[in-house]
Amino acid sequence: MGSLNDKLVIENVSKQYKEKEVLKSVSFTVKDGEFLSILGPSGCGKTTLLRILIGLLKADTGTVTKDGVDITNAAPDKRGMGIVFQNYALFENMTALQNVEYALKIKKETKQTARETAEKMLDVVGLSDNAKSLPKNLSGGQQQRVAIARTLALKPDIILLDEPMSALDVATRLSMRSELKKLQASFGTTMIYVTHDQEEAFALSDRIMIMDKGEISQIDTPENICKSPANDYVRTFVLDNLRAKIDSLSKYAPGLKQ
Amino acid sequence: MKHKSISRTVIQVCLALFFIVVVIAPIITMFSRINSQSFKSLTSSADFVPSIINSVTTALTATVISMVLAILASFSLCRTHIRGKGFFTMLFVLPMLIPSISHAYGLKALIGVNGSGILSFILGDKISVLGFWGIVIGSVMYSFPVAFLMIQSILQYEDGMPYKAAAVLGIPPLRRFTGITLPYLKKTLISMFFAVFTMIITDYGVPEALHNREFGYTLSILMLRDVENSDFGAAGIIGVMLLIPAVVAFSVDMLVPELSQSGFVSETVEEKEGRVSKILAYVFCSVLSILILLPITAFIIQVFAKSYPVDMSFSFSHIIDTMKSGADGFLINSLIYSVFAAVFGTVLAFVCAYMTARAKSKITRALHLMSITSVAIPGLVLGLSYVIFFKSSPIYGTVFIVGFANAVHFFASPYLMMYNTLGKVNPDLESVGKTLGIRRIKIIIDVIVPKVRLTMYEMAVYFFVNSMMTISAVSLLAPPSPQPLSLMIARAESQIDIGKAATVSLMILIINFIIKLVITLINRKRALK
Repeated sequence: MGSLNDKLVIENVSKQYKEKEVLKSVSFTVKDGEFLSILGPSGCGKTTLLRILIGLLKADTGTVTKDGVDITNAAPDKRGMGIVFQNYALFENMTALQNVEYALKIKKETKQTARETAEKMLDVVGLSDNAKSLPKNLSGGQQQRVAIARTLALKPDIILLDEPMSALDVATRLSMRSELKKLQASFGTTMIYVTHDQEEAFALSDRIMIMDKGEISQIDTPENICKSPANDYVRTFVLDNLRAKIDSLSKYAPGLKQ
Repeated sequence: MKHKSISRTVIQVCLALFFIVVVIAPIITMFSRINSQSFKSLTSSADFVPSIINSVTTALTATVISMVLAILASFSLCRTHIRGKGFFTMLFVLPMLIPSISHAYGLKALIGVNGSGILSFILGDKISVLGFWGIVIGSVMYSFPVAFLMIQSILQYEDGMPYKAAAVLGIPPLRRFTGITLPYLKKTLISMFFAVFTMIITDYGVPEALHNREFGYTLSILMLRDVENSDFGAAGIIGVMLLIPAVVAFSVDMLVPELSQSGFVSETVEEKEGRVSKILAYVFCSVLSILILLPITAFIIQVFAKSYPVDMSFSFSHIIDTMKSGADGFLINSLIYSVFAAVFGTVLAFVCAYMTARAKSKITRALHLMSITSVAIPGLVLGLSYVIFFKSSPIYGTVFIVGFANAVHFFASPYLMMYNTLGKVNPDLESVGKTLGIRRIKIIIDVIVPKVRLTMYEMAVYFFVNSMMTISAVSLLAPPSPQPLSLMIARAESQIDIGKAATVSLMILIINFIIKLVITLINRKRALK
């Protein structure tokens, strides 16, 4: 299925919880340096898929291959991937700096190297001034940046993001979008971004994978999805919703539709 | 990954086996000792039926009084705008820090036995606290703080929005009470009834000190007599009988849906600003505080009076006598028992709660059930089952069996404290650790333990304070040496040495109060940070 340019190849991945089939033989590929969004409503299986990719969940069937190596049964920290959780999962008793350097120290890096790397990562995400702040004293957007810095510090090839902006206000969300794109460009990292927000997926992604009831409805570039939606679900869930948003705004900004 | 999940399953299975050995197997063994002969000998005893009647009537009366007082006290503190709420709360829970038998002593000192109490002395009348009403009052004193805390904790977190909506709709206050407050409190009141009733009916400290010939025995006294006579079959039958209300209480807790914990609090219920309600609340709380403090003050005075109540001149003679009779040694024993229970109990409860709160499986569900089952076993019954089950084991008659019994007896509440706290800790911490290559144990030590530290302190204090004052299980299990301080009270009772009993009660009160105060201050300081 995969080609030489593919960073990640997922083949026939299925997962069932009790009676419910959450993922139904899902197959797709992710290119090196690509920003892929997985878009779908709650319960469509996108978070389960993400957890299988990082190794926190075991698929019932199927394989995950990264750079041509089968990593289906590899431990989460041996996959060269990082994840940013929806709730950031920061270590609340540690400062922003300690959060970033904690894993580096565990990985037996010297104290000085760990500190330098952590400081550099906080600088990259624009949080140098907040290095000594505890998570509870940071805003939602700042907490998210700490979580990204913590993930980037371990230099993963692929970063998975599980609805990281769902708890942020609209203004912070918009600024975080452009920062995320900048980070991806400067690090050249492949990013897989899970969201239920159509607008977010269209604004960020090189390609979008639309999921419904554990299956892939369509995987393509935003332009192609707009031009030729694969089925009624994609048309209604994605495009109609987007159109409704634009229509509601066009009352106030008549030129928006063009 | 597989290796780690296997080690977790091994820990879970070991914990489940531990509970089978320390809770389920002893109780089953106690059941197995019951036979038709012991049943016949017990039922043919002239004391049996009167003991049942005495136990049920005193427990029922005391439960109703305790609950009414607790409800009034909680409403006064939670629903009116009075000052000194912290102070009143501290006074209301003060009786929790001393053994039940000490309340009986306080009452003896205050009201008196055939004219020996200060009230008898003042009134010049030979009033006696012994008998039905004495036991009821003592049981109310002992059980009131528990009832108060149960209802106060629920009232504090009631959502105020339904009341606002009802006020806007013009629903009168009485209808608001019957339509909103009562349904909200329903389960708590049912649980409270059974919990308080169980506490009182299984207690033997108060009835032991306050029964007389006319009143007769209660089931708990009768059970102790049977154990002393090595009639474990008869004691086992009483044990089963005493288990019934606790099992009902446990079943109610498990089966009745918790209305008071569903949903969230958008805003707290408004406190009444009215002058009349404030005055009533002040009067009630003040009178109740005085009633609580009087018996405690009486036994404190007893400690320092030369010959209470005849010669009230100040003296250290009771303290000196108590120390001479080896109280310091008993105190050290108690501290060892209590520290053991606090450390062992807290670690065990944390590990158990971690296993059940942070992962769901058939084993963890079974483990959760076993962990909270201990709450349904009265200390006296647990003690008896341990006597029967561990009698021929090497730990019988050692410090360890007392420590284990205390840790198991008081396990459920601290376990639930930690279970609830861990349930609120970010569920993805371990997952993020896995992806960053940090071992679970490191995440637990470096991240989760610091996060739940305050709860751990509270758990340790709960184990410590209760172990310091318990006399139920330890009275059956404690070896001749070393004996805990609380048992010295019972020994002083049998020697009619009231001064010594009062001194020991005061020692326990002071230690428990200091420990509780220190932890409260530490927690308050941390919470403010």
